[in-house]
Amino acid sequence: MITVAPQVNQAKPSLKLDLNNLTDEQKALEIKDLDLYYGDKQALSKVNMNIPKGQVTAFIGPSGCGKSTLLRCINRMNDLVDICRIEGEIILHGQNIYDKSVDVAALRRNVGMVFQRPNPFPKSIYENVVYGLRLQGIKEKRKLDEVVEQSLRGAALWDEVKDRLHDSAFGLSGGQQQRLVIARSIAIEPEVLLLDEPTSALDPISTLVIEELINDLKNKFTVVIVTHNMQQAARVSDQTAFMYMGELIEYSDTNTLFTTPAKKKTEDYITGRYG
Amino acid sequence: MVKQWFKSGSPWIWMTGGAVSISLISVIGLLAMIAWKGLSFFWPSQVVQFELEGSIAKQTVIGEIYDRELVPKSRLAATGIDVSQFEKDEIERFLIKTGNREYVNLDFRWILETDIKQRSAPKALAVFERNKNGNFYGYVQSVIKDGETVKTDKVETLYELVDRAVELNDQALDLQNGDIGRINYELERLRLQEKAYLLDNELTDERVAELAQARADLRAQYGELEKELFALRKLAKRDQVTVKDMRGEVVTIPIYQVLDVWFPNDMGFFAKLGHYFVQLGKFVSDDPREANTEGGVFPAIFGTVFMVMLMAVIVTPFGVVAAIYLHEYAAKNAITKMIRIAVINLAGVPSIVYGVFGLGFFVYVLGGSLDQLFYPEASPSPVFGTPGVLWSALTLAILTLPVVIVSTEEGLSRIPSTVRDGSLALGATKVETLWRIIIPMASPAIMTGLILAVARAAGEVAPLMLVGVVKMAPTLPLDGNFPYIHLDRKFMHLGFHIYDVGFQSPNVEAARPLVYATAFLLVSVIITLNITAIGIRNHLREKFRSLEH
Repeated sequence: MITVAPQVNQAKPSLKLDLNNLTDEQKALEIKDLDLYYGDKQALSKVNMNIPKGQVTAFIGPSGCGKSTLLRCINRMNDLVDICRIEGEIILHGQNIYDKSVDVAALRRNVGMVFQRPNPFPKSIYENVVYGLRLQGIKEKRKLDEVVEQSLRGAALWDEVKDRLHDSAFGLSGGQQQRLVIARSIAIEPEVLLLDEPTSALDPISTLVIEELINDLKNKFTVVIVTHNMQQAARVSDQTAFMYMGELIEYSDTNTLFTTPAKKKTEDYITGRYG
Repeated sequence: MVKQWFKSGSPWIWMTGGAVSISLISVIGLLAMIAWKGLSFFWPSQVVQFELEGSIAKQTVIGEIYDRELVPKSRLAATGIDVSQFEKDEIERFLIKTGNREYVNLDFRWILETDIKQRSAPKALAVFERNKNGNFYGYVQSVIKDGETVKTDKVETLYELVDRAVELNDQALDLQNGDIGRINYELERLRLQEKAYLLDNELTDERVAELAQARADLRAQYGELEKELFALRKLAKRDQVTVKDMRGEVVTIPIYQVLDVWFPNDMGFFAKLGHYFVQLGKFVSDDPREANTEGGVFPAIFGTVFMVMLMAVIVTPFGVVAAIYLHEYAAKNAITKMIRIAVINLAGVPSIVYGVFGLGFFVYVLGGSLDQLFYPEASPSPVFGTPGVLWSALTLAILTLPVVIVSTEEGLSRIPSTVRDGSLALGATKVETLWRIIIPMASPAIMTGLILAVARAAGEVAPLMLVGVVKMAPTLPLDGNFPYIHLDRKFMHLGFHIYDVGFQSPNVEAARPLVYATAFLLVSVIITLNITAIGIRNHLREKFRSLEH
């Protein structure tokens, strides 16, 4: 399955977007002049990009290039790091998410996130999925049951777990756990789903299942994925951003980026000269 | 050769293994010794009749062999005994428990092996366990039932009469502690009520009449119950038994004083075993008698467990909340570090210091203020301004607080941050994450802290002597009188009971086995409490098992 030369997903929408001039309709997120510092060290500098709605956008780049950091800015997970300081704006629905008036919990309900390692809670499969709903105070059993089935189907896990919904989530395999985490995230119906190297801790077969799932997810959600695997980016994404040393080097539709990169650094990276 | 042996690491392994063995042997040896010495006390041992003559005048001694030792001749000579005809250098002597405390000077006496002319264990020898003056040993002469001497089946009748008297005494005691105790309690409450009205200037004539009426009702009830009580007592006093003791004199013992009678020399193994368990059961379930040297230790067991549980209920929320603040909210700077070090060091403060603090702060300041605010009618007698079970539990709670804080923090820091992030990413606030994910996952660590706290608190005696433990508490902190839980009451404690029986007792020899038995019981209680907590912890751990990898 995994080949050396990135093979671009052929089933791309024919419509090509002009990423620099998206209409408000097409735009999910807009990142403006984003700088991020860990203490004195600058980790992101002047990042500007538009993320289109209903598509899969991939961030690639060598380790430490800031792609995960950028992803974590989108739902303000970096707030948890004491020494982290952010300048610039990320616009969602016309509002800067770093504005003082923004309720972080509400933002995170709208921008879900899946992490590198599967992190189910020490609860049953069912309780994992409804966690976000319970937080919102939803108690009706019928509604919860419905959401559990919908979300698990959406995460391509329903058939495997429908008979053991009340067993511990730890009984699942790594790949199943990661899909459970995805189900948990989509149960609260976010607009944007952030995936931070979601397959790096998984075996190739689980990886394949999740990649197929990502393809389905974009029908309902805007997906942003960080990956260190170029083939994966080529397979699953519509747009790809290449980052290097905290800077956004090149950002275009995946086809273009992998076949005719505009920058020398991008070409070096995708042909395997470093990283 | 030797060098190679050292290099191979064997001496190191031997040394480490040896250290473990020594620790194990000491612990098991300690438990075995107190278990043996304590538990063998309840076994109905043989009662021996000695005919003595030699260094003392001719006489008979009846009793249980309690102890034996070898004494050098010179030491005997120093006590004024003529040792010229003794052949051996060391003479064996026996400590005999002769009982019959009110008729002989000492109920324990040493006899010399050389004085024993004859030794026998007659089957007719009886042991009477009495509620006063300890055991009585002797031969049953006659049984007097309601003034008439029983002609046939003397022994069976005796058993029956003893059972009847015990039954009647129990009824009388129940009445006294139950209904009569309740009326006394009510009367006291009325008195306090009246005083409270008086203090508030609300004592109207109407109320005076009401109170008087209530009082009169209670007094009437009291009179009835008192009559009942006296009737029961009179019934119990009906029968007597006459016994010939070792002096050859016939003594009359009222049967209502007898708790049990048995013929140890006439018992088979299983009869003795049955008797053993009955005696053990009584030890665990009865109240103490005779300045704690006899009877059971139930109030002490109850007090220990009650106080420890109360302490656990107080210390857990406090410790957990403090640990959460330190770990989750406090800034990670030098001050937090210093607070943490201070908390850890608190665990090293000697417990008696906590006792002094408890007395000064909880009892006098806190309790005193409570009394002023809520119980002005009770003054000058204090309610909470005096040592009690609540203050004991509080004192031990601050004593064990560091343990709970430290282990809870440890547990919190072991929770992977990915789980935390997962919850936050779903739109949970920090508090929601804490309540729904973090605290449940840290619960095994919290339980570990609690286990350590319970183990320490249950064995602590010194501070309790200042803040609430007494030698003899007439009532339990839990009873049928409203409000049922009396946190202001003083209580008994197994640890203090050991000290009291062993060192403050008027009859040291008689009390010695009880010291071991009580010590064994204390260890058992602590182990039981710990095993329960460990069971709960293992259950919780199982629930969160997969996260520990």
